[in-house]
Amino acid sequence: MTRRLFLAFIVLLLLVVGVLPVLSMLVKSLFVEGHFSLVAYGGLLRSARQWTLMGHSMALSSLVTVLTVTAGVPLGILLGKTDLPLRRFFTVLFVIPLLIPPYIVAVSWSDLLGGGGLLAHLAGAEATGAAAGLFFGLPGCVFVLFCVFLPIPILLTMIFLRTIDPGLEEAGRLVAGWGRIVKGITIPLILPGVLLAGMLVFLLSFGEFSVPNFLRYDVFPVESFTQFSAFYNFKAATAAAVPLAAVTFLLLWLESVFLRERTYQLRPSPGAGFSPLIALGAGRRWLLVSVALAGLVIVIVPLVVLVIQSAGAGAYAEALDRAGDSLLRSLAYAVGGATLLTLLGFCTGYLIQTKALPLWRSVDSWTIFLFALPGTVIGIGLISLWNTPRANLVYSTPVIIILGYLAKYTALTSRISVTQLGRIPPSMEEAAEVAGAGWWRRMAFIVAPLARRGLVAGWLVGYIFSLRDTGITMLVYPAGHETLPVRIFTLMANGSAELIAALCMIMIAATLLPAGILWAILEVMTRKAAR
Amino acid sequence: MKIVELDAVSKAYHTGAALDNVSLEIAAGERIVILGPSGCGKTTILRLIAGFIAPDTGSISLGGELVAKDGSIIKPPGQRNLGMVFQDLALWPHLSVKGNIEFGLKAKGLPADARARRIRQVLDLVGMSDFAGRKPAELSGGQQQRVALARSLALEPRVLLMDEPLSSLDQELNVRLRREILRLQETLGFTLLYVTHDRDEAADIATRVITMSRGKVLAK
Repeated sequence: MTRRLFLAFIVLLLLVVGVLPVLSMLVKSLFVEGHFSLVAYGGLLRSARQWTLMGHSMALSSLVTVLTVTAGVPLGILLGKTDLPLRRFFTVLFVIPLLIPPYIVAVSWSDLLGGGGLLAHLAGAEATGAAAGLFFGLPGCVFVLFCVFLPIPILLTMIFLRTIDPGLEEAGRLVAGWGRIVKGITIPLILPGVLLAGMLVFLLSFGEFSVPNFLRYDVFPVESFTQFSAFYNFKAATAAAVPLAAVTFLLLWLESVFLRERTYQLRPSPGAGFSPLIALGAGRRWLLVSVALAGLVIVIVPLVVLVIQSAGAGAYAEALDRAGDSLLRSLAYAVGGATLLTLLGFCTGYLIQTKALPLWRSVDSWTIFLFALPGTVIGIGLISLWNTPRANLVYSTPVIIILGYLAKYTALTSRISVTQLGRIPPSMEEAAEVAGAGWWRRMAFIVAPLARRGLVAGWLVGYIFSLRDTGITMLVYPAGHETLPVRIFTLMANGSAELIAALCMIMIAATLLPAGILWAILEVMTRKAAR
Repeated sequence: MKIVELDAVSKAYHTGAALDNVSLEIAAGERIVILGPSGCGKTTILRLIAGFIAPDTGSISLGGELVAKDGSIIKPPGQRNLGMVFQDLALWPHLSVKGNIEFGLKAKGLPADARARRIRQVLDLVGMSDFAGRKPAELSGGQQQRVALARSLALEPRVLLMDEPLSSLDQELNVRLRREILRLQETLGFTLLYVTHDRDEAADIATRVITMSRGKVLAK
């Protein structure tokens, strides 16, 4: 009974945090002066500009999806299934762009290719004019988002490869070479993961607004943000957000129909540790050079550009002077957000894993819907629900930012918990139950300690995504509470290139240093568990 | 005295019926072995008696007290005073041998000195006194088995449920541990309900064998 009551409370909390804001936004968009009206949508549908923006969004997301999946799946196979040297190093390297706000990658490439950029200084403005012209617009957006979201198909390919029973490939090895096996057995087996990766990349690109905004390519999410922040036209902003929600809903519905049963819970195959690696033979050296070159262009070059650009006298001092308070706030909100995300994700994951309430599947679907929903839509939803005099304690304090993190990122921590809890035999909790331990005692002393690696991983992911969040925070931060990503974004309009580069480097350090430490802790825990 | 009583119990999973109208009576002090092939419903009987699942229809009584009936659990597992040794043993890997045994005693609210005394007693009983500080992963298969037994016996259960506990052991160790289980049962006098698919094991342990097939009791 205690368990069911507590989990019902968690469901209620998820409803208030994530579902109610979106519903409130939807309802408010349907009423004008207390009467039902579709006038906001009528305006939206009649506007040729909106259709153009939707076309831009679709083109951008489709191109990014095709390119990331085309490059990410082979890279995932190379890093997860072959004897390529430095596989772990390359895996970590390629993940870095996903950990930082996407616009930082755009800033870096702009510092290199832009009109007054490093390349122009080296080769002359005329020589780089064409590159700069191309970079600001669709090609630049596609390239930057490709770099940022490439880790998604790489990681999902690697994860799905570990779910394959080695016996299936070994049966093929008796009659065929690796090339045929990968094509005919491995890739079809990981196809649900490839499709899931494609869908995630599409949705994340579709909802991304900071990169298109910086690179001056008009897309649909920018419209919603502009209507709210520039014109303070809440009705128009809401109406512009609803199509984004509708596309997200449609794609997730397709995922739930065709993929969910195959991607819901991923467990490594019992024999995954014995899965043979593909020997690359003579091609190993060339593939190593190719992967290293890709890592150089996608990750190292942008970082080096930022280091060079920020090396000017006093850039870091000025950055800390102008944004030191934002940095501290960002760290505090990220730590708070990550801690709450870990707790909420763990409880939600427990509910999904144990199916303790009949609506566990709906809870899973809501959280995923909210994760896939563009941050701007969640931001507008939160404003729609909490911007009332009675809710001032929420709306005018950092609580609204934390609510945004919980709404959007609970899916990540709950999925991590589902996977971790799925590895704990049910008999562990049952043995405690039969010994007379109540639910709280079982959770505190048996389940949580057994899932501690998942809790640490969940906290790490919660911290990274809370820290890098721009879409929600940009819309909801109360006066005097702006975070570092928001501060950088606003300073980009008038700050010097050196200052912005220094701020970006500080942001990267704030993400990667704690991430590196926790990663090391996780490695130690994993090795201890393996002994 | 009847200590376990199943009356017309049926249970179905989404894959089909697991138990079909099963009635069963077990007297205090009996050593019952439920014998049958995989999927015949023998583990379901243990899980119903333990209280992890409720019967769809029918009732279950323990010591004359109704504990589950027609889809609802009246008494949860922790209040049934049962012990259970799981097929995978379910030793908590993050707790020491002592911690594994102490967990249930703490949950029952025993004071520290009583807990220490009880832990010493059961570890002596299973010959594991020197291993109290070890983690389960640091023990051999047979030692883990003894710890699982000690953990269940520490709570002085009226019925000990054992779900194929020796199935993963080699033949020699299997036979040796059977002897120990019998010795403990004779010493402590608890009722034993033991599930297996091994006929030799059944013949060795049981005072009464219940044979099952496809969710039905064939012979009692």
